[in-house]
Amino acid sequence: MTAPATPPVPPAAPERIARVRSLLTGVEGRLGIVRDVAVTGHSVAGEASPHLPPSRTLPVDDAVAPLLPGGVLRRGSVVSVEGATSLVLALIARASQEGSWAAIVGMPHVGVIAAARRGVDLARLALVPHPGVDAAAIAGACLDGMDAVVLGEGVALADADRRRLAARARERGTVILSAGPWPGAHVVLAVERSAWSGLGAGEGRLRSRTLTVARSGRHLGRTDRVDIPLDAEASLFPGREAQARRRLRLA
Amino acid sequence: MSAGEGAGVDAPVRRAALWVPDWPVVAAMAAGGLAADAPAAVLHGRGLVAVSAAARAAGVRRGMRRRQAQSRCPSLAILPHDEGRDARAFEDVALGAEEVVSGVEVTRPGLLMIPATGAARFFGGEEALAEALVVAATERSGAEVSVGIADGLLAAVEAARGSVIVPAGGSAAYLAPLPVASLGHVAAERRQLSAVEDMTGVLERLGIHTLGALAALPRADVIARFGSAGAWAHRLSGGGDLAPPVLRRIEQDIEVRCDFEEAPRDVERIALEARRAAEALDTALRDAGVRCLRVSVAVVTERGEELERTWRTDVGPREGAFARFMADRVRWQLEGWLSRTSAGPEVSPPASLTLTARDVVGGGAEQAFLWGGVSGADARAHRAMGRIQGLTGAEAVLLAEEQGGRDPRDRVSYVPWGQVGQVARRVDRPWPGRLPDPAPATVLTPPEPVRLLDAAHRDVVVTERLHVSAAPTWLALTGEDAAPVDAWAGPWPLAERWWSEDASRRAYLQVALRDGRAFLVASRRGEWALEAVYD
Repeated sequence: MTAPATPPVPPAAPERIARVRSLLTGVEGRLGIVRDVAVTGHSVAGEASPHLPPSRTLPVDDAVAPLLPGGVLRRGSVVSVEGATSLVLALIARASQEGSWAAIVGMPHVGVIAAARRGVDLARLALVPHPGVDAAAIAGACLDGMDAVVLGEGVALADADRRRLAARARERGTVILSAGPWPGAHVVLAVERSAWSGLGAGEGRLRSRTLTVARSGRHLGRTDRVDIPLDAEASLFPGREAQARRRLRLA
Repeated sequence: MSAGEGAGVDAPVRRAALWVPDWPVVAAMAAGGLAADAPAAVLHGRGLVAVSAAARAAGVRRGMRRRQAQSRCPSLAILPHDEGRDARAFEDVALGAEEVVSGVEVTRPGLLMIPATGAARFFGGEEALAEALVVAATERSGAEVSVGIADGLLAAVEAARGSVIVPAGGSAAYLAPLPVASLGHVAAERRQLSAVEDMTGVLERLGIHTLGALAALPRADVIARFGSAGAWAHRLSGGGDLAPPVLRRIEQDIEVRCDFEEAPRDVERIALEARRAAEALDTALRDAGVRCLRVSVAVVTERGEELERTWRTDVGPREGAFARFMADRVRWQLEGWLSRTSAGPEVSPPASLTLTARDVVGGGAEQAFLWGGVSGADARAHRAMGRIQGLTGAEAVLLAEEQGGRDPRDRVSYVPWGQVGQVARRVDRPWPGRLPDPAPATVLTPPEPVRLLDAAHRDVVVTERLHVSAAPTWLALTGEDAAPVDAWAGPWPLAERWWSEDASRRAYLQVALRDGRAFLVASRRGEWALEAVYD
């Protein structure tokens, strides 16, 4: 058995790595592959650089982005939403679409169709309608496995349980969305008013609405109010409407 | 052998073909409970695709229109076409053949191919093999079958139709006098059949009536005229083969049954029985060297009631944890059965428990999801849901699915996680009268009573002509004072299933209050109820 007298000299390691990298990026570019969709799919100025593998945030829809600091749901944070189930669903919709799992615990009356229409992927939505006395254990199990956990107002949790769950969420990088007050929440969104349009005196139907949300939280300073449109309907004649608006502006 | 033939395929494989005449109609008659000698035909689209022997004797032919066929034979039973049914029923025939030989190839429902060489040696002759096949398949399925043995695909099929054994090397001579239309007999499906029929029609008009004449044509010319179909036909008509037969092993469902001498009533006994059954199934699967993708758990009670549910097993357990995984599900189901109070006044104790492994595949041959296995996040979520189910039972974790329906409650079906649900009502049907989007984010189950009042504080009524008696002005929710109504729309009447017992008639109204809240209320027999909240 004879070994080759002089093995071919390998190029220096860093050089090789650089070459492989450039090849990879070339392939990615050619095939249109985007690495780490969760981060790059929703680029927000000043957010984590796209090289952190498990992203530290969950993306949200553009409509509700103004409500959140940085326009994203920070993993490990607690967001309490008071007064609107739709807002809760709207907050988890985008992340669910992009592959995150969500659980809704203790909300037996949540409208699944509304969730689906907002973009929540029902194949990745677990419902625990009646957690009963095991609520803390169930919420804990959800925090381990899901990316976003919605806790209903009726979930039987003591303040100590809540603190423990919040710590666990921080550790696992899960977002807790509490439908109802949550002491010590990072972001508190309280719906103060919703204005519906489309309904008349005996005719029309509910079409779209504007929510006035009071936003406060631990690091947010004083409470401010944000108006966000929900259920905005796509116009039947978008082109025409834009034309009309342009004409108005000209006149 | 001609020069062009040597290119792809070697000498044709000697095989036995097992053919059931008029299979679609035989399967349909068996499913419909008709006697074998009844005149029947299977209709697809506008023409008959298969005709029973009795109907054929009365002059009904394949391809006839319904009216034409019925004029020839007024007592003709017209049966619907269902390829799924044909394939399912043919499993029995295939299983019968499998008892004789170890691998069979189902060309199409109604036609099986079996490599004959080895099997014939085992049985001590081709006649003996053919006889064994006929006996086994007939005993198993009750259908009339015929078997033929020859070299090459087309010759074997033709031999089966004539119940003959063509000696080795005699295929080309056997095929030569047959009409070109017999090429259609090897077509696997209808579309292929119609393509073949087009081609044979042209061949006949060109004056080429027999397979021998077709085989004698220069191969290149046939390809030039008919393309790949011509190459196919030319090769077959010369007694050649297309490809070696693709064999498959049919895995039967594996069943484990426990009969209880004394019905389990307490939790410990249930857990014990569940574990025992699950372990028995696990052992049975392991002994057979297979795994399964679904397990159905069936409980029969002492009064003969049946409850069957199917669980997916490809999501949860890894190798080795199967017994425990299944034991949990069986236990939940037994507990659920025993605690079922809504179904009847008293619960009948379970008498037997059957676990059936379905979609059985060879060990290691399970197919994971298309893009690799379960992703990390999915696996994590599955584990979490399994844990919650372990804490509180199967019904605790639900997956929701959208289904067809009109009101927001009807449009969702819930299935415990991991269980295989029934087919929901189709969403893509029109569902006229469905409530318009946006869908309410809170749907009350059951609805809460409310009062809808007009300006004079009288109850608003929906009249027979589906108008409201007066404009709604106040809405009093349970436990709240009447709040002023800002805008409203409706009433939208909805009468569902008026022909059945669970008929419902109601009229919906959308109401927006002055404080910004919006509700969906419905009137049933003059009573208003809060159905959903647009919150």
